[in-house]
Amino acid sequence: MADHLDAPGLMSPNMDARIDVTDIYAFQAPDDPTRAVLILNVNPLAPSLATAFNPAAIYELKIDTNGDAVADIAYRVRFSDPALGPQTAMVHRATGAAAAGANDGGPIIISGAPVDLATTSTPTITESGGYKFYAGMRSDPFFFDLAAFLGLAPHAHPLDFTNPGSDFFIDKNVFSMVLSATKSQLLGPNPSVGYWARCLVLVDGVWTQKDRMGRPAINTVFNHGADKNTFNNISPTEDRPLFLDKFIAVLEGAPFSRNAATASTLASVLLPDILTYDYSNPAGFLNGRQLQNDVIDAELQLLTGSGTISDFVGPHTDYLSVFPYVGTPH
Amino acid sequence: MQKTSRRNFLKYAGVGSAIAAGATIPAVEQLFAERTGPIAIRAIGGVPAAPLPSYASYVLDGYIDPVRKTGTLTRTVLAGHPDAVSAIALPGLSQTVQVTDVRVMGAQILVRGNIVDRSQLSTGEQSDVEITIDRKGGLVWTRSGANEMKLALQP
Repeated sequence: MADHLDAPGLMSPNMDARIDVTDIYAFQAPDDPTRAVLILNVNPLAPSLATAFNPAAIYELKIDTNGDAVADIAYRVRFSDPALGPQTAMVHRATGAAAAGANDGGPIIISGAPVDLATTSTPTITESGGYKFYAGMRSDPFFFDLAAFLGLAPHAHPLDFTNPGSDFFIDKNVFSMVLSATKSQLLGPNPSVGYWARCLVLVDGVWTQKDRMGRPAINTVFNHGADKNTFNNISPTEDRPLFLDKFIAVLEGAPFSRNAATASTLASVLLPDILTYDYSNPAGFLNGRQLQNDVIDAELQLLTGSGTISDFVGPHTDYLSVFPYVGTPH
Repeated sequence: MQKTSRRNFLKYAGVGSAIAAGATIPAVEQLFAERTGPIAIRAIGGVPAAPLPSYASYVLDGYIDPVRKTGTLTRTVLAGHPDAVSAIALPGLSQTVQVTDVRVMGAQILVRGNIVDRSQLSTGEQSDVEITIDRKGGLVWTRSGANEMKLALQP
């Protein structure tokens, strides 16, 4: 539930797990400190809800290089129609004003990359022009005691977890897109960047954003009802005008109960919903996000002000030390 | 076991009576009127409960037979909050309750049962289940873990 099933139109007919973002990651490659890695995961509970990437969608990894919450670099991934044969991926790289738009433009940096849906331990990797790219099914790297959060576990209420916890995601899969290059090639010359991802589909001939994600669990924890879809449909530049006051209200209320000044400060940190990353610093979350970072504990502690709150589950043991870093699927 | 005491049971009944003017309540009440055979039950509530935004929906679905004092109810967690619930069941969070007793007490029905498949229990969770159906209020009360769940009865 970092962003799994956060309602990109959960009601039929809009439900499409293929474009449901579950998590994003940005980190220094553990096997090469000169390289950075971007990951976009979709399709929760894969392959039970969907067995292919959506060939009619744009999967977009957005990079803001100057702190204005507008993309200056965009990696746009398109997939072939699985009805026509094994799926392949094409990656475009748009820069400048073209990166901010809603389209699949930009020079092609990867083409014909095979989509890897095998559960074998050898992933199919495509390399071109200094980029490494992977698309396919992987073990879901996210970890969280979902049952306790939902209030289904004995002696647990939301934000009052039981030790030891139970990791709902330990045996789940997702569809991953993993892209790596040298840090400046991938993210631009300024090491302080912002990263978010989104999925777009054509609606009445117009590319329309259906889901997006920056930091984990933001839409899940803060937004009620129809606001979840609104949040998924807007751009980061709209976050503060539309949602800052709502986030402050959530933080001031139970169970967080933060005072007005603290709530305002926290809400301003959380919005716009962008994963900030300084690639000159190898540290993890809140600086980017590594697979093994316990983002739920970090956010629980940030939101509650408690230094000890935890869901008592930890990182999976199947992360790889080499590209594509995300573990072999179950 | 998290027993529903008589005091709690009456408290539920009071809560139900207090909100008995809801628009869907006549339809719900109609479901139970003059019924002698099995009664279909579907009730839904958001999880986590307020004040946190609901991320998913807790759904109680199945039937009870007040005459035979039997029935089967399934407790499922579906993706989507109650106003936008999907058909996607979150795996590993479903439980099947075999009903062992049904007691009709005026507007309330008290249902007792067991989760027969122990693999559906989380660590430390008891297998016996108690469910209170408030026909007038259109509410169902049960427990999951340590939490009291209030579900809206669907017509």
